[in-house]
Amino acid sequence: MQLHRLGSFHQSRLSFMRILLRRLEGEAWTFDRPVFDIDACGVGRAVYSAHGPDRSYSLVAFANDLPPEKRSDRVIATEWDATFTLFDGVPTTADLDRLQDNVPKQEAGRVSEKELSLSRANRSVRLWEHVVERLSQGQQPERQKVADVGYLMRTTAVYGSGKFGAADREMTADRPEFLAPFQVEMLSVFLTRAFVMDLVEHMAKMRAPDTAVPLDPDLRRRFGIGNSTGLGMAPFLLNHPALLNNWIGAREEALSRIRNLETAHAPEVENFRRFALRARLHAEEWHSEHPVQIEKLAALRHDMAALLAHLDSTDLTADMPWNRLWLWAEDALSVEGQELLASLLMEPYPHLVDGMATCMAADEPATWRINGAMPLDELRALVEDIYGWALAIDWTVREAQARVWYTSEAKLEPRLGERFEEELDAYEQPLCPGRDAARMYADLQGSEEATVAGFLMRHPEHRHVARRAQIAGRLPYAEIRDNTIDASVMPIDMLRLKLSFFGACHFDPRSDRWVRINMYQHAPFPHELGERSGDDWAYPFLKGGVV
Amino acid sequence: MSWSLNEIETLSRKAARGAGLSWGLAEEAGKAARWLTAAGLPGPQVLADLLTRNDGADYETLCPMEADEGRWVARGGTLCPLISGAVLCDNAQRLGTGDLTLGRTAAPMLLLPYLDAAARQCGSSLTVRWNGTTVTLGNNAQAMGDSLDTPMADQITIASSTAEKAANPLPQHNRGDMPANVAQCLKAFAERTYAPETEESRLSGAGAGLTDND
Repeated sequence: MQLHRLGSFHQSRLSFMRILLRRLEGEAWTFDRPVFDIDACGVGRAVYSAHGPDRSYSLVAFANDLPPEKRSDRVIATEWDATFTLFDGVPTTADLDRLQDNVPKQEAGRVSEKELSLSRANRSVRLWEHVVERLSQGQQPERQKVADVGYLMRTTAVYGSGKFGAADREMTADRPEFLAPFQVEMLSVFLTRAFVMDLVEHMAKMRAPDTAVPLDPDLRRRFGIGNSTGLGMAPFLLNHPALLNNWIGAREEALSRIRNLETAHAPEVENFRRFALRARLHAEEWHSEHPVQIEKLAALRHDMAALLAHLDSTDLTADMPWNRLWLWAEDALSVEGQELLASLLMEPYPHLVDGMATCMAADEPATWRINGAMPLDELRALVEDIYGWALAIDWTVREAQARVWYTSEAKLEPRLGERFEEELDAYEQPLCPGRDAARMYADLQGSEEATVAGFLMRHPEHRHVARRAQIAGRLPYAEIRDNTIDASVMPIDMLRLKLSFFGACHFDPRSDRWVRINMYQHAPFPHELGERSGDDWAYPFLKGGVV
Repeated sequence: MSWSLNEIETLSRKAARGAGLSWGLAEEAGKAARWLTAAGLPGPQVLADLLTRNDGADYETLCPMEADEGRWVARGGTLCPLISGAVLCDNAQRLGTGDLTLGRTAAPMLLLPYLDAAARQCGSSLTVRWNGTTVTLGNNAQAMGDSLDTPMADQITIASSTAEKAANPLPQHNRGDMPANVAQCLKAFAERTYAPETEESRLSGAGAGLTDND
């Protein structure tokens, strides 16, 4: 549970996008576009509906003609190229009119319990104009340019559960389609990708009705939907320890099942090898300008070559083959490569892995209350066990607590500041469990109270971290065991951890606290589900290989 | 205006922190306001009023101390229900074994979510009484009386009780309303937790790229 490892995770069979598309395909969901009312300037609205066995959901999209100087991916932006909400059902015209007055304003507007999410996206200026221009001239865009960027729009926030008036997750969490985490948000993004591709073709047609052509379907699937993510995701992981535990726990259980297999059938080994080849291709197509990621990518490409060479020289059908492979990788591969291997190992074994998806949601209230009857010695022991690494840190050294997590009054943007250079201490958010546990431990050592209840009555300032310690005592993967305020902390590690569980790829850090990604690249579009697999799309396809 | 329960919880948590409670107590205050709203009770209103009254008060004056066996009072004269509630919850097992009396307590309605959690923890229903109001908590929460939202109770008794089928269980709501002045009050407390905008913070704090127009 250390950041350098968590920050090297990759998408897998347990990613929330793949869980969603498996369901949509398995239940034969249907899709239609009841509204597409967008003018030549690209302004207007559209509705994309998804119909499942029991319910329908609709992405309501508002397209905007955004002046370039207003284009910002940050929370503090106030206008976007497109804004969205996922509607619970199929909206009436009155619903659309109400939403048109609110959704384009995002945080400054209000939605209702009929809406499940609120999101926005900005164009990739580099690629958008190129694609519109080429299509309008009857030509396909250049493949290399498509590969360089990978998407036409990137979402800059996808708000769910109760935000800005939307329905709380608890209102829909018992629906089968939303049992797994973030299915609302993943459905919203899946439909957003379909809208964006329709929009770019529409804009080309409006520009040159006589010559414009649609995108070639194979090239079209190479466009994912981008996302630009800042620090907001990091607090989420720290504020939802039970959820984090279940995500990591599901992954660990899946890996454990596979590593414990006594033998593997030849087709499973061949299947694994083909996925490794595709993962190598993915690593080759993955670009970043960030020095840390450049280094990790160089190591990953080296790892993939080493893995494929090793596969050619090793019998993986007998003698606990996957466990042997894993133990080999612990010495032979970088952390980035080891984590890719973890994801790859799951691919040949859907029957061992996919069922774990149902364990990834969390009953957070069940583990949240403090057990005041716990003897204080037990809390001391818990702290030593869970936060031993933090007790070993000298917190008087400035570097150990150089950073401060805080919320800015500017649109409540989450930020990370320099404790010894800015006046921020008074606004610090409780996102440094290690330091707080060490502080609590110092008071625990001097306390003569018999129970946690007595201790916390005297020390209310330790209440939040006592709760964390007890949760982590119940749930082994609930706590990140690293210093989140160290001078060297890389918040992008936390962002990548969460985004990898979403199913994102092509992590491209823009700084130590900001990352761009791609989602649903190579996935079928809604109308293609059924003809194309909703499960097998997360790695690029080999030339002439599997469809 | 209709609020989601998550909005009410988040705003209440921040407001409680802004009013000076520790993060751990503020987390529970947020859950308390949410629980009351879900039960159809004016949680945010009562919370806003309490935070205003206790703004700047020292924790030591508000927290409970055991004056006599089974009787808690505040050093400062009036117990804070957010602190007492958390302490009651921490002592859930004790609540299951004997009656407890609280001296003068502000906004006793705010105790209910904590006692409900305590009842579930100790596996027994709890009955709490003040000023002619009786509330049973646990699996069959129900309330009777007209002083539920009183700003002050001089004495509160908490007793474990056998769970009977509630005749009029508290209804469950999944949205909440709060008057504009209440929302404004809570927002004003919450704003104390936000760092003022500075140029340096704006440029470096979020760490975004210099341009997104690419």
